[in-house]
Amino acid sequence: MSSSTQNAKAKVSFGRLIRLPETGSFIGFVVVYIFFAILGGAVFVGAPGWSSWLNIAAEVGIIALPVGLLMIAGEFDISVGSIVPASSMTVAMLSGHYDLPATVGILGGLAVGISIGFVNGLLVTRTTIPSLIVTIGVMFAVMGLTLGFAVLLKGSTSVSYVPHPTAKFLLGQFINYMFSVAIFWWLAFVAFFFYILHISPLGNWIFAVGGDRESARNAGIPTSKVTIGLFMASGFCAAFVGVAQVMTYQQAQVAGGQSFIFNSIMCVVIGGVLLTGGAGSIIGILLGTMTFAVVNQGVFFAALDPNTGSIIVGALLLIAVVSNDSFRKFAISAASKKT
Amino acid sequence: MEQIKSLFYRPSAAAVVALLSVTVFYIFAGVEFGKLMGAASWVNYAARIGIVALPVCLLMVAGEIDISIGAMIPAGAMTTAIISGHFELSMIFGIIGALSVGVIVGVINGILAIRTNVPTLIITLATLVGMQGVVLAGSKLLTGSASVPLTAPDWAKTLFGQFMFGGSHQVIIIWWVVLAVVFWFFLHMSKYGNWIFAMGGDKESARNAGIPVNRMTVLLFVLTSTSATFVGMCHAILFNSAQVSGGMNDIFNIIVSVVVGGVLLTGGFGTVFGVFVGTLTFAVVNKGIDFTAIDRNWANLIIGAMLLIAVAMNESFRAFALRASVGKKGATPEPTPEKAT
Repeated sequence: MSSSTQNAKAKVSFGRLIRLPETGSFIGFVVVYIFFAILGGAVFVGAPGWSSWLNIAAEVGIIALPVGLLMIAGEFDISVGSIVPASSMTVAMLSGHYDLPATVGILGGLAVGISIGFVNGLLVTRTTIPSLIVTIGVMFAVMGLTLGFAVLLKGSTSVSYVPHPTAKFLLGQFINYMFSVAIFWWLAFVAFFFYILHISPLGNWIFAVGGDRESARNAGIPTSKVTIGLFMASGFCAAFVGVAQVMTYQQAQVAGGQSFIFNSIMCVVIGGVLLTGGAGSIIGILLGTMTFAVVNQGVFFAALDPNTGSIIVGALLLIAVVSNDSFRKFAISAASKKT
Repeated sequence: MEQIKSLFYRPSAAAVVALLSVTVFYIFAGVEFGKLMGAASWVNYAARIGIVALPVCLLMVAGEIDISIGAMIPAGAMTTAIISGHFELSMIFGIIGALSVGVIVGVINGILAIRTNVPTLIITLATLVGMQGVVLAGSKLLTGSASVPLTAPDWAKTLFGQFMFGGSHQVIIIWWVVLAVVFWFFLHMSKYGNWIFAMGGDKESARNAGIPVNRMTVLLFVLTSTSATFVGMCHAILFNSAQVSGGMNDIFNIIVSVVVGGVLLTGGFGTVFGVFVGTLTFAVVNKGIDFTAIDRNWANLIIGAMLLIAVAMNESFRAFALRASVGKKGATPEPTPEKAT
């Protein structure tokens, strides 16, 4: 239960600042941004650069937030990779193929995500199977269902859909032809999850569940409900990204969500969330996502081989985990010296 | 009766039941059993993922996981093709090169695993992404393309990339079976196997008991990534070329095979025989669907359902076996890793 942000009331000193879990992620972001700003030049620092990496950050960021919360609670969700195409397929099927109103399609897509999340949560809490395995199984099953139904009902693996202008405006518009409206949704999600994790009592529950599930249960925390709720949140957010994608690209594909699985985990880890549960912060996840997106898009502006991007991300991950590891030891040792 | 009952106490019991039920399910779905047995596609596929699943099984028993294998299979293929195909060096250098890439990455994974407290899932996620970049950027840099042709000499073809029996069974199947026997001996017959079970049960106690935990961890990571590059190398030799793509799906497929085979993700429990059967099961599900009247598109649904059912079966069989052993001997309720298969 090491939510050091809780200590914000205490005096801000340099020593305290450097021990904040977010400091490492912030330094990482600044270093990476300066690196690509130098290589990418004015275009990267200007609006085109910002829009390109923010658009990427928004998509993966919306999923990374609940995935991060799950990891703080000590669980994994691999199935997000199959929920994204499943929900965009549902929207395109309902509103495109069957010509139902856009609201029905959107609600249908989101409902798919929430129900898959509910199944995940139920399986994880009712059995002793680790969530990694449960969500891999669910991922395969959802992939099969999406593909099977798409071919069965539509006869093809992609469905096109021309969204209603209002739906398009709210979920899939590009502002100024550059900034995707998803960025604002992402920020709203950040605010919402920040409230959940760091202000509401629910946040303490999540940290407690990740720290020690048994003690948390003994302390009266409804651990199963918390876990199921978190899985439903990640299902919802993945479905939201799927809905936004179909509104933006006016087409749904059965495949294509796979990259979200590891990308979201990487954002979270670069953001300083410990995989072992019990520690992490929303600001960290936000910074981790931004760092990931800057590297991802920066390589194009810097005219580097795009593949060097994944070398940089791999290196960043290693640096992040190793420094988090030593950071944590340092912070804990400093804290235990004091008390 | 007692004997039949005790068969179900084996850790691999659920895997065998899964394999049988999948086969029966497919027979009802319209597969001719003889045709399925004679077909090469699923055996070849089983060998491809099985060779990597064996060391991954050992790793999981020791309580670790390695997902960098997804990058190491193409890495092995590319290294072989670049050294022996693009630079036209002797085949032997290509083979040594591919295997050394595996050893190097395995050592990196292993050292990071023992020096930090970071879960190995994240460490190997980093090496996975990093190696993907290195392989892609490296092949672009050295050869200018993402696909490299390779002409292997006859001896290499015979050893690693031949079709057997004049049919379409690949020689890699023999490697798989031989390696399975070697790994079975290693895990269940040698003292090192006991060490691995002890590490997965409780790392700290294992260290206190004098087991060289660090050296064993590095060794297991080296075995895993080298097996992955070995598979990649065999494929490059077989198909006369190497592509950088491919391999990502293998991560989940291999983990699924190992878990269906009855290995506990949390370590300390599992058998090589179980993993062998688990791999067969996965391959039958994945490739056998082509022989049924079921549309191939539903394959993933069946895989997902099979995984969840098989794992649930593993859990209940284990609970059942533990209860039985407690009832009999009044012994500890700890999951004692079964040795025999």
